[in-house]
Amino acid sequence: MTMATGRPAQIWISLRRPAITGAVGIVVAVLVLALSGVDPLRALSALVYGSLAPANIADTLNWAVPLVGMTLVAAVPLRAGIINLGGDGQMVVGALAAALTAIYLPVPGPLALVLALLAGAMAGSMLALLAAWGETRFGVPLLISSLLLGYPAAGVASYLVSGPLGDLGSGLAQTAQLPLDARLPLLAGVNGGVVLIVLLCVLVIFIDRRTVFGLETQVRGENRLFASYVGINAPLQTLRLMGFAGAIAGSVGAILVLGAFYRFIDGALLSPGYTWSGLMAALVGRGEPIASVLAGFFFAALQTGGFAMQRETSVPRVFTTMMQAVIVLVLTLRFGGRSGRHD
Amino acid sequence: MDNILEVENIEKRYGDLVANRDVNLAVRQGEIHAVMGENGAGKSTLMAILFGMIRPSAGTVRLRGKPVQFASTLDAISARIGMVHQAFKLFPSLTVWENIVFGAEPVRGALLDRKAARERVAALARTHHLDVDPDAVVGKLPIGMQQRVEILKALYRDAEILILDEPTAVLAPAERDGLLKIMRELAASGKTLLFVTHKLNEVMAVSDRVTVMRRGEVTDRMVTADTTAAAIIRAMTGREVSHEVVKPATARGRPLLEIDRLMVGNAAKPALDAVSFAVHAGEIVGIAGVAGNGQAELVDAVTGRRVIDGGTLTIAGTRANDLSLRERRGLGMAIVPEDRHDVGSVAGMPAYVNMSMGKHRAPPLSRRGLIDRAAMRRHAETLIQRFGVAIQGPDTRVGTLSGGNLQKLIVAREFDHQAPVLLVEQPTRGVDVGAIEYIHRVLVDERSAGRAVLLISSELPELLALCDRILVLYEGRIVRELAASQTDEKEIGFYMAGGKGA
Repeated sequence: MTMATGRPAQIWISLRRPAITGAVGIVVAVLVLALSGVDPLRALSALVYGSLAPANIADTLNWAVPLVGMTLVAAVPLRAGIINLGGDGQMVVGALAAALTAIYLPVPGPLALVLALLAGAMAGSMLALLAAWGETRFGVPLLISSLLLGYPAAGVASYLVSGPLGDLGSGLAQTAQLPLDARLPLLAGVNGGVVLIVLLCVLVIFIDRRTVFGLETQVRGENRLFASYVGINAPLQTLRLMGFAGAIAGSVGAILVLGAFYRFIDGALLSPGYTWSGLMAALVGRGEPIASVLAGFFFAALQTGGFAMQRETSVPRVFTTMMQAVIVLVLTLRFGGRSGRHD
Repeated sequence: MDNILEVENIEKRYGDLVANRDVNLAVRQGEIHAVMGENGAGKSTLMAILFGMIRPSAGTVRLRGKPVQFASTLDAISARIGMVHQAFKLFPSLTVWENIVFGAEPVRGALLDRKAARERVAALARTHHLDVDPDAVVGKLPIGMQQRVEILKALYRDAEILILDEPTAVLAPAERDGLLKIMRELAASGKTLLFVTHKLNEVMAVSDRVTVMRRGEVTDRMVTADTTAAAIIRAMTGREVSHEVVKPATARGRPLLEIDRLMVGNAAKPALDAVSFAVHAGEIVGIAGVAGNGQAELVDAVTGRRVIDGGTLTIAGTRANDLSLRERRGLGMAIVPEDRHDVGSVAGMPAYVNMSMGKHRAPPLSRRGLIDRAAMRRHAETLIQRFGVAIQGPDTRVGTLSGGNLQKLIVAREFDHQAPVLLVEQPTRGVDVGAIEYIHRVLVDERSAGRAVLLISSELPELLALCDRILVLYEGRIVRELAASQTDEKEIGFYMAGGKGA
């Protein structure tokens, strides 16, 4: 007869998920690297050095700014059980609105910068609200409306910058450059938008933990039927959450334009896949903001390290995408959870 | 008579939790043996062990004198034990005979022998007087018929011992009487029945002997004919529980919930057809009816889950037809829902969140949109004390609570609103005797405090004990209003079945 072991067992239960994930991740990484004929130790140390060494931390932060931002975009609605697949479109319209505001609005630079950020947030928010309204008013599942609205949004943006609003001299699908005084300053080599992203993280965590709205969001995420039974207005909640998420996505687009590219370049925002990495990070954290943001930062470090590893060894960067996928899969497995109950 | 089944010193632990401790049970061939206990007493664990669903941590099960160990339910079935679960395990889109033979089909060569299968099922139904059409599609059968299919499934596999887990919980009164009759006939034909329940009157009516459990242990064994309901309750709860509800006289006040010619559903076959009634301050009005005769639609219409297609709903003097549930609650309505796990609570969150919801938007639980967790914890602690909820503390997640305690928690939250209108659905379904007594008492207290209570219950004794008036719903209409003090189960049952009044 085995007696119950009390506290140590409890600690093991809460730690086993990260522990198993870490172990599986390392084993898979070593196996894949060894199989492809690379010294695993050398490759992994290149990965860690490339992301976290003092010389490289700015690269990681620059990658983390949009990725953590897009993590919030997915995590905020996910906390209520809503999946926002429209991050790409919301980010693109925000970026375009910010670029056009900064370029064409005849106001002094610093004011243009602030207005451009606001315009970006507004544009992203409007697109997300349109998707949310599709669900609350017409019953189109948000999963579908948010994803599908992204394609025309990106398409229209692409058309505008390759034609009417494009920088025709360059021959590329992009806008003209932003005026110098309407750009976000670099802070020690890092996109100045990092300040805004940190503030957004703090704001989201504060709302989640301290406000009535945050509590109602969690209740809805845990049990939709209960939420409506206690009188939580689900459609209004959906609109608010999506409007907020869209505003964050638009801000991320604006920050990339104002602080990294200094113009809107067609495709440059979408090709790194920030939206999807952010969605994965939010899924890992199950929408809980602190866990999601940490996961987002970890993915940013992993991906940045991947660039360095690709330079140092023959291992392609895709390796980090695979690692990310393995981690998400293991983390979302259900460990020996007893379903159903007796009596 | 010999013991066909003997359980000796069975123990089952989950970590620190002891679900069964030193359990002994002796069941004789051909008897109906009731296993009684409150929720969480360990009845279901014991049955799961007997049917091979879980393995005991210690102890022996003897079948026909020989020790057995079941690795799975298949072992139990081949040892001729059958079980009818509370939630049926049937394929709704298949026919009765297909469901019955599934997994043990008669074959000719490699092919299913449909004719033989159908005939065997029909013959089996005839021998046991279990009247059911082998070709009917199971999903279209009423619940009582589906249960017969489950019983036939076990008999088809030559079960000698039948375990019935809370079989009457889902049945209408007439179906329940039918089942009790079937149980007697099965026992008379030599089958042994293990009847798991917490309904006293059924145990008194049908069983030969009773084993009572409490907190994982057997507290008493009795011969039904030589015992009393009070003695069984004492063994179940460890104390005296009064079954009588004392209803002080109250003065009926003004109408607080008014329903006037309410229509729900399409005009050809409305789910509610011109239903009119009012619930006044200081009275409990009960809705009786066989499930599916409009109770669900009535609740949905009152809570706003369903659109009202005609007539008016008035809550505390204000027309509420087009208001959201939040606005209706704002007018002064509190609700104890039928489904306390999926609707009435959020299992993964702590008790203080569960108990604060509904009051969380206003001081003292929140100010200017910011929540005060300390105030929520204090609020929860007060309610836990006042309503005697057995829970570790306000931070405990409610998913771990037993049915009775969870119900107390929900009742505490809702009654604390002091709303003039109370909508209470199946308040004691699946709740243990002690909690039933308590919930009945607070319902009567609410009535004395001048609330208008609308009670929807499938338990006729409950309606008779608590209500001032009972309305019988049949096919979406109120066919009869009865004064609770001047009617009985028989009369209510007559109108529930569609009987026409004199």
